[in-house]
Amino acid sequence: MNNLILKVCTKVLFTPIILFGLYVQFHGDFGPGGGFQAGVIVAAAFILYAMVFGVDKCKIIMPTKLNFFLLVLGAFLYGFVGIVGLILGEPYLSYDLLGSTKQSGQHIGILLVEFGVGLTVCNVMICLFYSFANFKFGSNKND
Amino acid sequence: MITEIIINAFLVSFMLVIALFIVNTRKVIFTILLAGTYSLVAALMFVSLDAVDVAFTEASVGAGISTILFLAALSFLPKEEVQESFNKNDIFALSICLLIGGLLIWASYDLPMVGNENNPVHQHLVSDFIEGSKNHIGIPNVVTAILASYRGYDTFGETIVIYTAGLAVFILLYNRTSKETNKSVKNEISKK
Repeated sequence: MNNLILKVCTKVLFTPIILFGLYVQFHGDFGPGGGFQAGVIVAAAFILYAMVFGVDKCKIIMPTKLNFFLLVLGAFLYGFVGIVGLILGEPYLSYDLLGSTKQSGQHIGILLVEFGVGLTVCNVMICLFYSFANFKFGSNKND
Repeated sequence: MITEIIINAFLVSFMLVIALFIVNTRKVIFTILLAGTYSLVAALMFVSLDAVDVAFTEASVGAGISTILFLAALSFLPKEEVQESFNKNDIFALSICLLIGGLLIWASYDLPMVGNENNPVHQHLVSDFIEGSKNHIGIPNVVTAILASYRGYDTFGETIVIYTAGLAVFILLYNRTSKETNKSVKNEISKK
């Protein structure tokens, strides 16, 4: 796509969209929002960039390897927080002993878990878009 | 109360009109865009039911990302749907749809009123959750408290489902592209 207005607008909008995604991510305890929504919003910023500048340019700022690393890291973080609780001697995925008081423990647990969800959702969406954008219809007909 | 009824009636009739347009249109891109609009109106519906978190998810996932992914997939689809001729099975299918729909509407008269505090759903665990998210967890958003803490297992399962789905789509689609690129690279090398 070779439209100057689109390119400039994308450059201006890219950071505020990610900032809004982070706001939704970390404000989920106090208002509507959370990992799922934030992940989708952040992914939307990358997909907008890929649509305007091309997938190859987008792979410079979000390489496929990094995409996969973060994708796995999110799910791993969620499971790991549960295991930390298990080591501290309470049921899996209960966060009471993570902080100094029960409430701060719950705060830390929820924040980490939501962050894991956000990472996974965001990178799954980017990965889906990459797969669709690279897909060539019927390319293995001759195999 | 009366404004709520007017707003709900407007939203429901709007959704109905969009659904009729989706059925009628033959251009795939219009179908995708109208489906996005439908999700957006559904999100407004959730706002009027005070389910702000669900509305947020519907607006960002249903109206945003899924529309974009459908548009990305559009380039592999034919531009226009093939007009199918009417056949006898359609009457059978239509009568089954009308029957099931009628039964569901009939059953909905037995449902309790929305927002009544004596409903069975509010009697069991909800009061514990509301108390607990204030005293035990200490965050104002009850939805997040239930989602991340009380029902952490379920959310973990959801995350794993999304993770697995993303990996599966990647494996299915990437296999083709990698073969294609390998082949084109080989061709280029052999040309040189």
